[in-house]
Amino acid sequence: MVQIPVRIPSAGDGETKEWAMIELQGSLETRNPVPLGGKFIGDLHFTHKDVPVLIIGHHILYGKVVTLEKPYGIMVKDTSSSDTTAGTSYNIIAVIKKKLLFKTRPKPIIANVPKKL
Amino acid sequence: MMDVETETRSLKEIEAVLNFAKLSRDEIKPSTQCVYFANHLDNDGIKLLELDKTVLNALESGERVVIRGDKEDNAVLCTDDNTYDIKQGEISNAMLLLPEMTLGKDLDSNSETNIERREVNTVIHTFYELRPCKPRLALLRTLLGENQYSGEISEQDEDHQGKKYTFNELLDLVQGSESQILVALKKMEALIINGYWRVLDFDYLVQIMTHIIQLSDENDWLHTGVPIEECLNVLQELFPRSVIEHVLKNYSDKIDPSSSGNDDDNDDKMMIDIDFYKLNEDKICRFYAEQILKHAKKFNLKQFMSTWEKSVPEGMKTNLFQLEGLALVEKDCSPEVISYLTVESLPEDISDRFNELFRIKEKWRLDEITPYIRDLQTDKMDVTAMLTKFARASTSNGVKLYNSKRPIT
Repeated sequence: MVQIPVRIPSAGDGETKEWAMIELQGSLETRNPVPLGGKFIGDLHFTHKDVPVLIIGHHILYGKVVTLEKPYGIMVKDTSSSDTTAGTSYNIIAVIKKKLLFKTRPKPIIANVPKKL
Repeated sequence: MMDVETETRSLKEIEAVLNFAKLSRDEIKPSTQCVYFANHLDNDGIKLLELDKTVLNALESGERVVIRGDKEDNAVLCTDDNTYDIKQGEISNAMLLLPEMTLGKDLDSNSETNIERREVNTVIHTFYELRPCKPRLALLRTLLGENQYSGEISEQDEDHQGKKYTFNELLDLVQGSESQILVALKKMEALIINGYWRVLDFDYLVQIMTHIIQLSDENDWLHTGVPIEECLNVLQELFPRSVIEHVLKNYSDKIDPSSSGNDDDNDDKMMIDIDFYKLNEDKICRFYAEQILKHAKKFNLKQFMSTWEKSVPEGMKTNLFQLEGLALVEKDCSPEVISYLTVESLPEDISDRFNELFRIKEKWRLDEITPYIRDLQTDKMDVTAMLTKFARASTSNGVKLYNSKRPIT
């Protein structure tokens, strides 16, 4: 058995970096199986009451901001150490404390043909 | 505002979509965050670990946190004080991770319309969750059993070539936090000898105890307490000082100098800077009982009681309660018997423990079974709750008895 240390590299000097999460029902697919890298997903707006609105393709999604009871740590293998005998270790490079949850079914945007674009 | 290298949507495109969606500019804040997949999605390099407050605090304060596990055991995560089971969870929802994003409450309602490019660098469906668990410490006993200590002279002989373990080596093998392992080592009466954690061979322990008690008898230390320095000086010819000290401290209580002697006019016993230890009657009696039971396993209770009473140092009183968790007394058979059964010899897993107990004996009284399950109590489940879950109660002649809820395997 091995011991794998887990640490927050910035521990001690204040705030841990915070990342955000968008949780979507189901998964994202493109019509053609092309690599997703660099592709546009959608526009994220917030209403004046801070409700997140995400428009993806022809769908509009209303979500809510959820504070996670148990935050997620973003854990990556530590590759900074050149010492290969040191064994594996993990760094928690950021934590996620809040997520945008879009759990309602996406509403299709009814195509009312715009006059001009 | 716009990233030169990567294409970003124009305000015009965004307006068009809003129009499409019949979402009025009046309803939303002027900032739009355009979400893109990063050019290089890193879906395998990142793992999500659910952190509760305790673990997060430990990590943020720079405390040592480690994952321990191998292919057979489940992996556990240990902070200095606690142990957690690591379980993988999977959800059908897609979790998109964004290193940068602004929440609505941080956006101004009255600014100019503006666009920010945001990147999703990971799409993930799995995460790891942590559940507090009891450390798996049974292995500790097995490991230290590989080479028990029987004195310096024996270290070289062929019975003492088994593996010895440093604390760090134990940490590599035992799934528990540092403080939990230390507590368990203390409970096992283990000690460090020449850098290795060892337990004393029982016969060797008997030798040391016999000498301590004999010396105490000769010097009337059973009443006054054992002056530890003097005791060590006398016995150091026979055993290492650190080992004698360890044994003496395990089987006695330090006398608080301020509390003793008030009722006594004997001033010269109250010498400053001399530590006295009073042998603990219950522990000594238990130790003598173990010597008898260890070899015989099962005994006629009456015979045992009289043998035991005669074996203990004069003035000490034996009582069956001293044997809780060491021996099982069966009063419902004739003649009554006592048998050697230690808690440490039973499985750590709660349902295995009950199975084993009901295999040994079909029906248990509450006071009989309690010493054999009490060590498994948690904040969430006490003895009563464990019995409700794993045993069925019945009443016979007004006595409540517990038997197994399931067939014994």
